[in-house]
Amino acid sequence: MSSSHAYPHEPTGVETRKLGFWVFLSTEILFFGTLITTFMIFKGSDFPGMKLTDVYDIPFTSISSFILLMSSLTMVLAHNALEANDQEKTRVWLLATAMLGAVFLAGQIYEFTEFYHKGFELSTNIFSSSFYVLTGFHGLHVFVGVVLLLALWGIGQRQKGLTLEGGMNLEFVALYWHFVDIVWIVLFTVVYLI
Amino acid sequence: MSENHLEHPTPKKYVQIAIVLGILTAIEIALYYTEDIVGVFTDPLLIFLAIGKFIIVVGWFMHLRYENKTVNRFFIGGMILALILFTIVMLERASANYS
Amino acid sequence: MTKIIEPSKQSNIFRRPSSETGIWSWITTVDHKRIGIMYGYAAFFFLLIGGLEALVLRIQLSQPDNNFLTAAEYNAMFTMHGTTMIFLAIMPISAAFFNYLLPLQIGARDVAFPRLNALSFWIFIFGGAFLYSTFIFGTAGAPEGGYLAEEVGWLGSAPNGGWFGYQPNAGMKYSPGTAMDFWAIGLQILGIASLISAFNFITTIINMRTKGMRFMRMPVFVWMTFAVSFLLAFSLPIIAIALFYVTFDRKFGTSFFLVEGGGDPVLWQHLFWLFGHPEVYILILPAFGIVSEVLPTFSRKPLFGYAAIVFAGFGIAFIGFGVWAHHMFASAISPVAQAGFGLSTMVIAVPTGVKIFNWLGTIWGGKLKLNTPMLFSLGFIGMFVIGGLSGVTHSIVPADTQQTDTYYVVAHFHYVLFGGALFGIFSGLYYWFPKVWGKMYNESLGKIHFWLMMIGFNLTFGPMHWLGLQGQVRRTWVYAEETNLQFWNIVVTVGAFIIALSIIVFMINWIFSKRNGEKAPFDPWDARTIEWTIPSPTPVWNFSKAPEVRALDDFWHTKYTEDEEGRAVRREETDQILLDLEEEGLNPSEHIALPNPSYFPIVLASGLPLLGYAVIYKSIPLAFIGAVLLLIGGFGWGTEPLEEEIHEDSDE
Repeated sequence: MSSSHAYPHEPTGVETRKLGFWVFLSTEILFFGTLITTFMIFKGSDFPGMKLTDVYDIPFTSISSFILLMSSLTMVLAHNALEANDQEKTRVWLLATAMLGAVFLAGQIYEFTEFYHKGFELSTNIFSSSFYVLTGFHGLHVFVGVVLLLALWGIGQRQKGLTLEGGMNLEFVALYWHFVDIVWIVLFTVVYLI
Repeated sequence: MSENHLEHPTPKKYVQIAIVLGILTAIEIALYYTEDIVGVFTDPLLIFLAIGKFIIVVGWFMHLRYENKTVNRFFIGGMILALILFTIVMLERASANYS
Repeated sequence: MTKIIEPSKQSNIFRRPSSETGIWSWITTVDHKRIGIMYGYAAFFFLLIGGLEALVLRIQLSQPDNNFLTAAEYNAMFTMHGTTMIFLAIMPISAAFFNYLLPLQIGARDVAFPRLNALSFWIFIFGGAFLYSTFIFGTAGAPEGGYLAEEVGWLGSAPNGGWFGYQPNAGMKYSPGTAMDFWAIGLQILGIASLISAFNFITTIINMRTKGMRFMRMPVFVWMTFAVSFLLAFSLPIIAIALFYVTFDRKFGTSFFLVEGGGDPVLWQHLFWLFGHPEVYILILPAFGIVSEVLPTFSRKPLFGYAAIVFAGFGIAFIGFGVWAHHMFASAISPVAQAGFGLSTMVIAVPTGVKIFNWLGTIWGGKLKLNTPMLFSLGFIGMFVIGGLSGVTHSIVPADTQQTDTYYVVAHFHYVLFGGALFGIFSGLYYWFPKVWGKMYNESLGKIHFWLMMIGFNLTFGPMHWLGLQGQVRRTWVYAEETNLQFWNIVVTVGAFIIALSIIVFMINWIFSKRNGEKAPFDPWDARTIEWTIPSPTPVWNFSKAPEVRALDDFWHTKYTEDEEGRAVRREETDQILLDLEEEGLNPSEHIALPNPSYFPIVLASGLPLLGYAVIYKSIPLAFIGAVLLLIGGFGWGTEPLEEEIHEDSDE
């Protein structure tokens, strides 16, 4: 369904808002690409100072990575449920996704606090700065995602429930959420494992 | 007007995909611990696994596999552009030498 | 006459705005034409300010060792001149054209996301206001023990690190105070506006074309809008991050660009120019598009090599992503990098040349009408070629190291940006004046404007070529008497004032013609594209019914057919067709529902400058208010439908 009453003529057969949203996601690739590139450039520096490898905890981060990954599953199940017009299931899976996202964020906050106590904070050195800005922007995106998921859940509580059309749309929140997940897939590997 | 519902995976399929993702993640973590054994192959394997997970989530969870080619071209185009530009920047910085 | 249908029930807590006249209607409008007009006026206002900043610079440089401006004030003036002209004048004027014309040229009623369109505009306004509030709130201290440890008055309390903000000069150590924070955050805000526009236009071009408007039937101006939108979408995120790094370095103690903390100043250059080079193509491509519309109309010939021009445009955009480090030849990059980027810079001259030859081919053998839009388009070709030639000399690395940081470079980019982009823009302003206002501009005044501007422009920027080669250095507030540079500097200054005079002529023409100009027919130029098939001024609903396009330059083929030798012959039915079009254009037979106006774009936009001030002054309360405005704007928007439902029995 087109977003403007103009002419219901979508020559490419893609719904207009979905197209717009994918264009937006494509630009986010450049956004995170810049952050990751900067991190990697500094990672190779032999400037003296505390590095991430001195303070991190792989088992812990692995668990929170797994949690975020699973939240993509719950997200896709929520979308599926809405397509079948099962309002209650949709809300359940939406809440589950938001919860998993919140747990991930809590994990990040815990992790950063631990690092901070070990002396690895934003302004310590370039390794810490590039780490925190990169993961911080990702965390901010997760936070926005959780807010959107809860908003959808709230809207779903209204009598009308959720539809696949309408302004605040589950499909786009889902795409956004998955995107946040794939950024983390790259981040986990590039920042922690390699 | 555009969604091809016939090609939509079922919940069961999604769970299977999620299990695959979990296994890939487990392998990644194992690789981190077995770095001494795997040696020089560790990093390439890790990258390969990350790319695999990336493609799976984008293709199936984000449904890009079933979407119109315009949308596909955008996303993949953006990725290719980013890869080229940032590779050049990283190479240039790596080759720069100051005293 | 069909009225816009009023919403019959409200779907949200606040009443939907519904005024059609008065200031509220402009503040809440989502109509692409009104948004375009607002962009145009705002941009022109900033053009004047940028021009004043330039005049002030030129007065300072008219004499050696002058003290009309202090060094600090000079730095602020050239920084603000560049920043204003690029981000607050040329880009928004291009946005004005895109906004107004794009839907009309593809036969649509509006853009894909009308409220997002309004949001872009308001973010631009707030961003520009935020940037300029530096003159009120900003401070620019001198670095400790620095050469210029002096009191800096209000004129100097503006961003002073150049429009390119090189590090570490633009960092906290050498640019203390808040002026460069206003720069970094101001550009950040403005970048968001353009990024949003890019999504909107890309989606509009792909999805909102009318029946029969295949990609290869779209006007070249639409193609150029498409290319610009790609450039914006993929380059702005990079500078967004870079500007975040600058703000973090200045405000939160990081050292992304500071050597003493392990950072890398050259990284800033990479990130900046990864955006900055596509940016200059963003600045010129709209003018390429305008000129490609104007030349065929006033040569009474189709555009020569339409497909080549389209592909060349995209070629330029694509290669434009691969030349950025030619701005860094003198920044100690490796010889391999220099060679590579020198080569790519030479290559980009090829598609540009293709376009020039195609434009020449369009004019060749045509029945030229040398009115004001045509004069500016022809002037564009001449001036842009000169600028392009000096640009190619920059691609040769050893030559460039002589030219860098001299006035030769200043000459180059002003020939392409002023002689190119701005001349193209003036061509477009005159060309579409009748369509927008329904009146004809005064042709004599237009010609006076053109000739004065042509003379003034060349007097101003021509001498800069040899001044640069003789050693006059950029971004420096004085030159010594022994350099013997004064004579041509005086010529340059005189030229600048002639430009100012020509702008005054333009403004007089605009104001006078809007009020008293002759009424314009809807197709005053006997043009080729479908925006000329609707009444002048454009009715709010654009097309009474969706046009159906059967070929490139559809309108031309409606009016003309060809004889055996390929010459255009006016059809017999054309007069009647035109009368019918006029009748139909003013009296649509169907109900037309337009997207309703909305408060939320301006509400959402207003949160951004507050967040900006919050970062500068590290104020949590301001951040909170800014965030709340964003949330209210966002949620209100999300829960408000684009068009209100219409009751069955409500009637016009």
